[in-house]
Amino acid sequence: MVKGIAASRGIGIGSICVIAEHELTFEKKKIEDTEAEKKRFNDAIEAFKEETTKQADDIRKRIGPKEAEILEGHLVMISDPTMAGEMTKMIEAGQCAEAAVEAVCDMFIGMFSKMDDEMMRQRASDISDVKVSMLKLLLGIKDVEISKVAKGTILVAKDLTPSMTSQIDKDNVVGIITEIGGKTSHSAILARALEIPAVLSVPDVTTLVKDKDTAIVDGTEGIVYLNPEGDVLSQYIIKREDFIRKQSELKGFLGKETVTSDGAKVELFCNIGTPKDAKKAVECDGEGIGLFRSEFLFMDNNHLPSEEEQFAAYKEAAVTMGGKPVIIRTLDIGGDKDIPYLNMKKEDNPFLGYRAVRYCLGNKDAYMIQLRAMVRASAFGKIKIMVPLVTCVDELREVKKMVAEIKKDFDANNIDYDKDIEVGCMMETPAASLIADILAKEADFFSIGTNDLTQYTMSVDRGNADVAYLYSTFQPSVLRSIKHIIECGIKAGIPVGMCGEAAADPLMIPLLISFGLTEYSVNPVLVLTARCIISKWSKEEADALAQIVMSLDTESEIVAALKAASKE
Amino acid sequence: MVSQKITVTNEQGMHMRPATLFCQAMTPFSSSVKVNFNGTSFDGKSVMMLMAACIKCGSEIEIECDGPDEADALKKAIELVESGLGD
Repeated sequence: MVKGIAASRGIGIGSICVIAEHELTFEKKKIEDTEAEKKRFNDAIEAFKEETTKQADDIRKRIGPKEAEILEGHLVMISDPTMAGEMTKMIEAGQCAEAAVEAVCDMFIGMFSKMDDEMMRQRASDISDVKVSMLKLLLGIKDVEISKVAKGTILVAKDLTPSMTSQIDKDNVVGIITEIGGKTSHSAILARALEIPAVLSVPDVTTLVKDKDTAIVDGTEGIVYLNPEGDVLSQYIIKREDFIRKQSELKGFLGKETVTSDGAKVELFCNIGTPKDAKKAVECDGEGIGLFRSEFLFMDNNHLPSEEEQFAAYKEAAVTMGGKPVIIRTLDIGGDKDIPYLNMKKEDNPFLGYRAVRYCLGNKDAYMIQLRAMVRASAFGKIKIMVPLVTCVDELREVKKMVAEIKKDFDANNIDYDKDIEVGCMMETPAASLIADILAKEADFFSIGTNDLTQYTMSVDRGNADVAYLYSTFQPSVLRSIKHIIECGIKAGIPVGMCGEAAADPLMIPLLISFGLTEYSVNPVLVLTARCIISKWSKEEADALAQIVMSLDTESEIVAALKAASKE
Repeated sequence: MVSQKITVTNEQGMHMRPATLFCQAMTPFSSSVKVNFNGTSFDGKSVMMLMAACIKCGSEIEIECDGPDEADALKKAIELVESGLGD
């Protein structure tokens, strides 16, 4: 068994085809007939353009325009006046075409690979691709025809270039293994788009295997088995069937409403960290944003972001979601999240200190800017304001007072906003839970943050390995707290959501259905999984299970009971 | 010869796509187009050189056009940068 990077999920079992690296060596000879050499060079460029255009068209059709851009970029590079111009100059000075291509490409590779910008360094590998393709054309070297490999092939290569990937026939290639590349490399992106399991960065794999060897590619775990034993093989055949069955089951939930098996509809939202993530939420079929962490605006900056900067970010998320709710959490710093330019004091107990709404209400000028940006953005979609770490009702009232002031100012100055913009309360402290009935009278909605609620209820720092065993949302104390919060919300007639990791936990979901949670906010990639689990439970079944679970004394008994009832 | 200074405001700076868009728009002009940045002059019709210049969001560049259609070329170049280069 060898390990690599899990780059594209799924399991592939098949027969290996190694794509050999060719030695691209040539003799650097002095050219007498420079005109003939220039023609040979220009012919190679034309052949390169023709081949690459064909491959780009093919990728655009089979995968998508975004993936084809990589190859279109190669066309731009080879047509560039500096690139082709410098090469031509060298040939005119008597160098052979191969030497000219290599020297100019290497110069650009050197230039781009030194830049302190990931995207620019990626361009260096593009130029390297162009160089290799051009040298092969000039030297008359032909590659293995990937488009013609047999059914059930696992491709093994040092690296998979976009031009190689474009030739992959999904029906024949069942797995990909390479020596280099990471989760965001071209080959990983293309493998995921084609839904072919891939493990990248497996050291020396091209020398470890030979053609026709059997291999298993576990792209979910990032593991490769070469010539596996019989029992491993039979295990993996079952695993593969499971994976395929699950994937097709999940796909059936795309575009569907989120309903329990007895037809009760709930909302399934996403947690995001930047406005760009909202696109991901849409792609993953999220029905709204249940938690937009606003910290990124402050953390990725060297100054307090202006009202304009914040407004642009909130508006982008609102517009992307097209009228679906976007719940933005106001600045939640302190605790483990420090922002250098704010010069916050070092504290002995930062999690019990000056953080989140406490800091914001102590720095109202800065908080006002954020709230104004949110209210302004509400003119472009369904923005909701969520206040973190509330422990007493005064805090919520104070924030609402500030929002009311902003509305008055906007009315006076004819600035557009959503007059019904809601202000909700994040329920993540034992204090908030105990006064949930009081808070419910002031809040337009509740959202339970299970990570902090668990940590504060159990008085446990989950980063501390000695006490981490106590950190569990399935502790009876935490479950009672969650149940109480939801009940208070229902009694007051306000919606209650959950935006912690627990909202997507298959063991937690039946309890949440029973308690009456109305909105689940999960990581975008878990939307379909959560929708599938929710669809398997009826209120009646969930109630019966919850009744048993809530009468148990210990966390281990609770987890065991939930596991036994699991419909996974 | 005409020239004008302008700040690049698109989020990505002069990456592949914005640079390609800029060069494609400049190539039809017969005037030369130079982008001066950080004390160096780069060919405004070469995507590779524009990317090599490492122009980021917020960078101030000077565009310099020289030739029979220099005024039109400069106008088009400024328009493009102002519009965010397709970002």
